[in-house]
Amino acid sequence: MAHSGLSFESDMQELIIQDLHVSIADQEIIRGLSLSVPRGEVHAIMGPNGSGKSTLAKVLAGHPDYIVTAGSVTMDGENILELEPDERARRGLFLAFQYPSEIPGVTIANFLRAAVQSRMPEGEELEATDYYAQLYKKMDLLEMDRSFTSRSVNEGFSGGEKKRNEILQMALLEPKYAVLDETDSGLDIDALKVVSKGVNSLRGPDLGVLLITHYQRLLNYIVPDRVHVMVRGRIEMSGGKDLALQLEEKGYDWVKDDIDEPTLA
Amino acid sequence: MVQENKSLEIERNIGDFAYPETHTHDAGIGLTEKTIHYISDVKQDPDWVREFRLKAYRTFLSKPMPTHWASRDLEAIVFDNIRYYLSGGIQPKRTWEEVPDDVKRTFERLGIPEQERKFLAGVEAQFDSEAVYSNIKKAVGEQGVIFVGSADGLKEHPEIFRKWFGKVIPTGDNKFSALNSAVFSGGSFIYVPPGVKVKHPLQAYFRINAENFGQFERTLIICDEGSELTYMEGCTAPKFNTATLHSAVVELVAMKGAKIQYITVQNWSNNVFNLVTKRGLAHEEAEVKWIDCNIGSRLTMKYPGVVMKGRKARGEVISIALAGDGQHQDTGAKMVHAADETTSNIISKSISIGTGRATYRGLVHVPKHLKNCKNNTECDALLINSHSRTDTYPAITVRGTGNAVQHEASVSQVSAEQIFYMQQRGLSKAQAMSLSVNGFVNDLVRQFPMEYSVELKRLIELEMEGSVG
Amino acid sequence: MSNPSALLEEIAETALAPGRILGGGAARNEDLPAWFREQQSAAWTEFQTLPMPALKDQAWRFSNVQALDLAPYTLPVSLSDRAERDLLERSTELSEIAGRLVFADDHFLERDVLSEKLRAAGVIFQPLERAMIEHEDLFRRHFMTQPATLGSAKFAALHQALVRSGTFLYVPRGIEVELPLETFHWLHSENVAIFPHTLLVAEEFSKVTLVEHFRSADRSRAGFSCGVNDLVVGPGAKVNYVCTQDWSDRALGIQINATTVARDASAFNLYLNLGGKFSRLESLSRLIGEGGRSDMLAVSVGDGAQEFDARTLQDHACAHTYSDLLFKNALYDRARTTFGGLIRVEPHAHFTDAYQKVRNLLLSDDAEANSMPGLEILADNVKCSHGATSGQLDEEQMFYLLARGISAAVARELLVGGFLTEVLERLPAPALIVRLEELIADKFARRSR
Repeated sequence: MAHSGLSFESDMQELIIQDLHVSIADQEIIRGLSLSVPRGEVHAIMGPNGSGKSTLAKVLAGHPDYIVTAGSVTMDGENILELEPDERARRGLFLAFQYPSEIPGVTIANFLRAAVQSRMPEGEELEATDYYAQLYKKMDLLEMDRSFTSRSVNEGFSGGEKKRNEILQMALLEPKYAVLDETDSGLDIDALKVVSKGVNSLRGPDLGVLLITHYQRLLNYIVPDRVHVMVRGRIEMSGGKDLALQLEEKGYDWVKDDIDEPTLA
Repeated sequence: MVQENKSLEIERNIGDFAYPETHTHDAGIGLTEKTIHYISDVKQDPDWVREFRLKAYRTFLSKPMPTHWASRDLEAIVFDNIRYYLSGGIQPKRTWEEVPDDVKRTFERLGIPEQERKFLAGVEAQFDSEAVYSNIKKAVGEQGVIFVGSADGLKEHPEIFRKWFGKVIPTGDNKFSALNSAVFSGGSFIYVPPGVKVKHPLQAYFRINAENFGQFERTLIICDEGSELTYMEGCTAPKFNTATLHSAVVELVAMKGAKIQYITVQNWSNNVFNLVTKRGLAHEEAEVKWIDCNIGSRLTMKYPGVVMKGRKARGEVISIALAGDGQHQDTGAKMVHAADETTSNIISKSISIGTGRATYRGLVHVPKHLKNCKNNTECDALLINSHSRTDTYPAITVRGTGNAVQHEASVSQVSAEQIFYMQQRGLSKAQAMSLSVNGFVNDLVRQFPMEYSVELKRLIELEMEGSVG
Repeated sequence: MSNPSALLEEIAETALAPGRILGGGAARNEDLPAWFREQQSAAWTEFQTLPMPALKDQAWRFSNVQALDLAPYTLPVSLSDRAERDLLERSTELSEIAGRLVFADDHFLERDVLSEKLRAAGVIFQPLERAMIEHEDLFRRHFMTQPATLGSAKFAALHQALVRSGTFLYVPRGIEVELPLETFHWLHSENVAIFPHTLLVAEEFSKVTLVEHFRSADRSRAGFSCGVNDLVVGPGAKVNYVCTQDWSDRALGIQINATTVARDASAFNLYLNLGGKFSRLESLSRLIGEGGRSDMLAVSVGDGAQEFDARTLQDHACAHTYSDLLFKNALYDRARTTFGGLIRVEPHAHFTDAYQKVRNLLLSDDAEANSMPGLEILADNVKCSHGATSGQLDEEQMFYLLARGISAAVARELLVGGFLTEVLERLPAPALIVRLEELIADKFARRSR
């Protein structure tokens, strides 16, 4: 996994995390995590509660509460750890939040418009008709009612609506890498199917996806290329999609037992 | 992002310029009975007005500063350093051609578009303290609407003017209404005849253009039975080094079934003391609505009021205040229910940024033996960063079994999680903040006419750009 | 003192001869320690210096300041044995208590002893005049340390100048007093002035409930009570304080409270106001440690020409503190209330939650409610709200009850009772709630007679 500056550009189309250490309030939560997600692939991260999965998602997006004490994260060869959250986003990183924020008074239409506009070159104005055409196309894909756009962002939304809204934004903003943090939590089976359909429709050679989940069931709908198991702030095991099934069968303890490390006694 | 700030900064400075002072009438600095006589002489006041001014001057002297409840910052006003009257020595003009060139330039710098000027039903622009330009749309005149400067109003229409002048707001209402009554000049007088519904809003722009110069305009609007009017007042002021006093009095009279909507966007520069008394009198089934937006000034104290004197009268105050660094927006509303079945509504939203302070003061009075009166008050405050401050001081009196009054207030802030979420979607911190703040006031901004609400949003954005690192 | 002189006359005399309060002609407090009498003398000077409240004072806005005329009131003399016996008999409210103190016209009458166990644990529950001698250091550390900032500085000075009895309650670290402690203050003689004082100090992790009853011996007699109750709630301690005020409808009452809440402590104040011609409560909760919580509750039922005046301050001086105020007033006849309340969140008191709610029920055309809820927020990350409503009984609810055959009078009583119960129900002591509801029912019964 060593990347030198001499790599070909095709080799650079990857999100690479190397030996990442992250703390919050003096407590180390991510302890030397390495992982790489090439574009065109879907990688799942599974792990028990408290393993640091959600922290990883927020750190990638640049949440100010977390301090990166060591390691690097590069996106298509560029170090993103020094960038502001919005700069990372505009370079093509998308985070679907586990708990999306409510923004009273700001409609989805206005919010997304501002987000799309922020990705356009200086001085170029977003054409309203193009924007709405795009937006409605994506909404149809996610089986969303048009009236949705005039509601305030996430305010009073059900769990399912919030998650659908996240995927809608992902569809519209067309990121290079998407991190989906527990996107299946709080969804019933019907909503899960719709959200999965939305994610699957976005899969393609230009998009790398990091799917963070506690449960295996999401992986029945969004089939990953690779599965990684995260325990106590590290990737402890990686494998193909079958690994998820093994986990389902044997539980996370199986992985824990498998780790022969004195500190985990 | 830097470029964006820059382009906005240029607009921000639009109000920051001044022209050589060429005033032919100048009352000098300070206030004595001589000053009052000087103003009356220059304005060729009728005797009763001169008497009114002198009496008001004595009332002004006898009234203490309201610092037992108001900000001590008021003590920074030195009445002896203020110029109380200044006139371009030119009469109000009706056509664009007759408007002096430097005044035209002022309008251009303000960015009032040509077509808007034409669109406006009538423009009453106050340049310094005298109305120098007024263009009343022909149609309005034909409907019998009187729209003149207050100086002309009191001379040409004394039968209507005298009947209501100083009746809604008595001279002694407060120290600053007394001051205005002593030295007033400029402002508008509007009379709308019975049943006339004025389609386009009448509009006035006010500017201050002389250092240490107070502006004391006086506006009186009377809407006769069943008539309707929207009036818009907006101000920007050039920036000066020393404090400036603006102390206006606005009286509205809505006769039976009439509707008056008075809209203000206040954006004085940060050295102005803006101490304004505004009150409306609503007769039976009449409606008075104040839409008030305060963005500028050093200290604003303004509590638009409605006295609901007739059955089923309605009063409403919609207020937005933005208190940036060093500013104190002390605003609110007064609702006096004086007849059965009267209803009032107050919605106030304030945003405090940096060292800014926003205060809400409200008075709701429902006296004895009134039936089925209702008041609803909502005030919400948004705080941005830890130096800002917000206060709410309503006073509500209710008597009797038929009346219902409800007051609610809340304080909240834009949370860090909210900002992070928006940043993750690609918005800069400042954009995220401005979007949140606009979201907070959105439902109120919608109440403003289109051109004002766009301007308002832009003003809020400008304030936010400066406030986020 | 054989002939009670008018309070103000005496005041005039003492002004000429300051020794008098200290043990001169009035002989009032000569049994008290010299340091205490010196403080009283200083307080007296302060009382004389401070101006009488006026309507234009923001802290007295809407108040009927004419009611504050002190000329008629006299200092108490001792009671007859019969009167004492009678009042002692009537001094029962709660059936299960840990201890009781009874005062009439500022004289300490009796004490129901604390259990041996509590005494051994170091709990002190005794009259002020003994505490200041037996526990001088402790007493002096906490006595009158909070200035009255809500308008009654003058009356606080008067109180300190003339106080001679009251309650000292001290609960040592970690001690939990399960049953409530109870006190009674009686106004007995016509036009008598009393100065009830309560000082409650709860040390770290202790727990205690104090219930005070303010009563008139004769509902037809006038009188003046000028009281101070200070609650000092130590870290992690929990204090419940309930005051039931049922003076005669001719009495003037001023009660000044200061509650200080330390880290992780919880203070719970409830004032039930039923009597008095003019009765004012000034209540200050100061939250000075993280995790501190203060609940401030009041219920007032006014009729005739009664006036209830309440001024409150929720003062958040520290981050991560919580306060919640709920005052409800039911007003009949010409009754009047004024509520002036402020939530102040001081700079750096971030992450504060503060709530304030006043609800007025106007039950007659002449009833009047003035509300001045206030917020002063100088910190960030706060959640604050206040609400004030004034309205009537819900007509639909009334109709529903009438349709079930309930008479209008009873229906009204039920609905008013329900309106008030929402406050009482917050009390963490069910037995007390029942008793408070009975007191309210007594007031309703008095009305219907």
